[in-house]
Amino acid sequence: MVISQDRSVAVIMVGGPTKGTRFRPLSFNVPKPLFPLAGQPMVHHPISACKSISNLVQIYLIGFYEEREFALYVSSISSELKVPVRYLREDKPHGSAGGLYTFRDIIMEESPLQIFLLNCDVCCSFPLTGMLEAHKRYGGIGTMLVSKVVAESANQFGELVADPDTKELLHYTEKPETFVSDLINCGVYIFTPDIFTAIQDVSMHRKDRANLRRVSSFEALQSATKSLPTDFVRLDQDILSPLAGKRQLYTYETVDFWEQIKTPGMSLKCSGLYLNQYRYTSPHLLAVGDGTKSAAVIGNVYIHPSAKVHPTTKIGPNVSISANARIGAGARLINCIVLDDVEIKENAVVMHAIVGWKSSVGKWSRVQGEGDYDSKLGITILGEAVTVEDEVVVINSIVLPNKVLNISVQEEIIL
Amino acid sequence: MKALILVGGFGTRLRPLTLSFPKPLVDFANKPMILHQIEALKAIGVTEVVLAINYQPEVMLSFLKDFETKLGIKITCSQETEPLGTAGPLALARDKLIDGSDEPFFVLNSDVISEYPLNEMIKFHKSHGGEASLMVTKVDEPSKYGVIVMDDSTGKVEKFVEKPKVFVGNKINAGIYLLNPSVVDRIELKPTSIEKEVFPKIAAEQKLFAMVLPGFWMDIGQPRDYITGLRLYLNSLRKKSSSKLSTGPHIVGNVLVDESASIGEGCLIGPDVAIGPGCVIEPGVRLSRCTVMRGARIKRHACISSSIIGWHSTVGKWARVENMTILGEDVHVGDEVYSNGGVVLPHKSIKSSILNPEIVM
Repeated sequence: MVISQDRSVAVIMVGGPTKGTRFRPLSFNVPKPLFPLAGQPMVHHPISACKSISNLVQIYLIGFYEEREFALYVSSISSELKVPVRYLREDKPHGSAGGLYTFRDIIMEESPLQIFLLNCDVCCSFPLTGMLEAHKRYGGIGTMLVSKVVAESANQFGELVADPDTKELLHYTEKPETFVSDLINCGVYIFTPDIFTAIQDVSMHRKDRANLRRVSSFEALQSATKSLPTDFVRLDQDILSPLAGKRQLYTYETVDFWEQIKTPGMSLKCSGLYLNQYRYTSPHLLAVGDGTKSAAVIGNVYIHPSAKVHPTTKIGPNVSISANARIGAGARLINCIVLDDVEIKENAVVMHAIVGWKSSVGKWSRVQGEGDYDSKLGITILGEAVTVEDEVVVINSIVLPNKVLNISVQEEIIL
Repeated sequence: MKALILVGGFGTRLRPLTLSFPKPLVDFANKPMILHQIEALKAIGVTEVVLAINYQPEVMLSFLKDFETKLGIKITCSQETEPLGTAGPLALARDKLIDGSDEPFFVLNSDVISEYPLNEMIKFHKSHGGEASLMVTKVDEPSKYGVIVMDDSTGKVEKFVEKPKVFVGNKINAGIYLLNPSVVDRIELKPTSIEKEVFPKIAAEQKLFAMVLPGFWMDIGQPRDYITGLRLYLNSLRKKSSSKLSTGPHIVGNVLVDESASIGEGCLIGPDVAIGPGCVIEPGVRLSRCTVMRGARIKRHACISSSIIGWHSTVGKWARVENMTILGEDVHVGDEVYSNGGVVLPHKSIKSSILNPEIVM
């Protein structure tokens, strides 16, 4: 083993099927991490950001989805990146620190000096090189990516306080009731292998307390953590909070975009953010066209090579069209995600919407959302294999899979 | 033979269209409403039409001057200075209507559209020898109207029952009368209702007769009924002179297109559509159950149903206009905008979607 080699591994936390219910009806068909944003699976964006890490020897995906659900993606991305990618399946949820700890032996096989830990459901530019430089400079056991948000929305996230000069994490609290700070945790970390010791300490301490509790029912009633199993360790409450102010954790602030992808509406917003990032990282993925030989393209648009888009259509801004989709003559697409095998027929309009796999939108039909990413019905969602018949209008609605709409609907959830 | 057309006032029920033109000049099936009546009168030999009007007579007259010569019919106005109801205008126009010939004259309500079987009405009038004839039409919900109770075999009218609570019959006044000059003697020059004050007296003397109007009848004084009226009118046109209706692979059902209008490739038009003079329908447009008035432009891939597009308005590319959307004159709906029942006053631009019926001032 050559210590001087500054090896890194990356771990992407992908969660499991009992998580992400807010992502319905889209998560009925595909694990949320594989839902395409800007034409690529959600998890692909953090993974491809890892390409910038020098001496990256392994990428691990940790989650509790069935292995076969990720098999195809994992093999294709491994050969694309020329870095081995492995899916590690937890038998049950362990929390993000617990999940990491479960697979500590595998992760440490390559003797990495750094472990990058990325959450799959955050959307950002993943500035990993800058973060790594800072991490080495700080010399702590961990560095976390942080971002400033508007004070009113900070309480949906982990709020934290950092030393303005040393960038040390001074205080950390998850989703507080009262305002602590407008600086929040982005869910992207770099740790040294010492993180495993920190997780082990929490786990051991909890085990001791659990033993104690058998003799003290009074304490058992009082304790908020009584139901947590000893191998369930959360990163935020159990590791970050106690280690804050102990010169072990540091912060690295990003001024780029950052969003959390909890709902279908947010996935549309994030698809747009990633499309915009392609301008700088992979401009070849963006479609071009002036409406003569190919469709008129406005702003950032991704069109899968197998999709058939009629030259009389007008597409964009923020449109992503997946494999084998067919977009008929004179159709208009604005701010939308069109998934595999969808057919949009002649003169139809789709705006502020997600059109599910194998769905069809009829001639002169209109599938439209208001465009409010944060409200429940702000983006119109058609689940898998939904048929919108000719001339029907679907506004601000969510349609569950396999429905046929022959009359117009507005502000409805169609079961 | 002479005729009086009761035009009346501001036509507020048909706003925003009537903010630009007096109601009789609002186009219906590609020509001003009142021309439907004037042409029907001319066709059976009426030589002079008097318009009973209390609003903008200059506009009406200057417009109708062209038609006077074109149709060879004399058109004059009788202007009320105060509203005189449905009978008062007859007294006001007395000198124009009565010339000593003792010939009966027609009275038509300008809000009503029908097949105008006026020759049959003349025959009916002569056959019964009474003082006044009126047309009645059957309706589904008679309780909303004044119901006429009559002898079905002779047509003799027994009584008028205004908005009956209990069913007394389903025949209502269709607003088309043929009256002997003597009827005018029964009317004083003051606000008077012909249905409530004049006809009941004639009926009491057993001199009022009613015939059931064959074919369709519609009061098109408000947008919903205007759109229904167009369907009935085009349906009747199909039976009577179907050559006036468009045909072709892009046409569905009854469609009336002015010869100066143009329709692009890949459109689907109909049923029940009227496209007025000079309109431009660009490629890939879908129109159903709607009226597109003179000079309007519907841009590519737009879709319009159950709506009225006012004069010189434009509807943008990929726009969707439906559910009783009424665009006044010179209204511009932006590209990709959706209007669900928007009622838009003249000279407005609509840049964002109207998701639920509302009035845009």
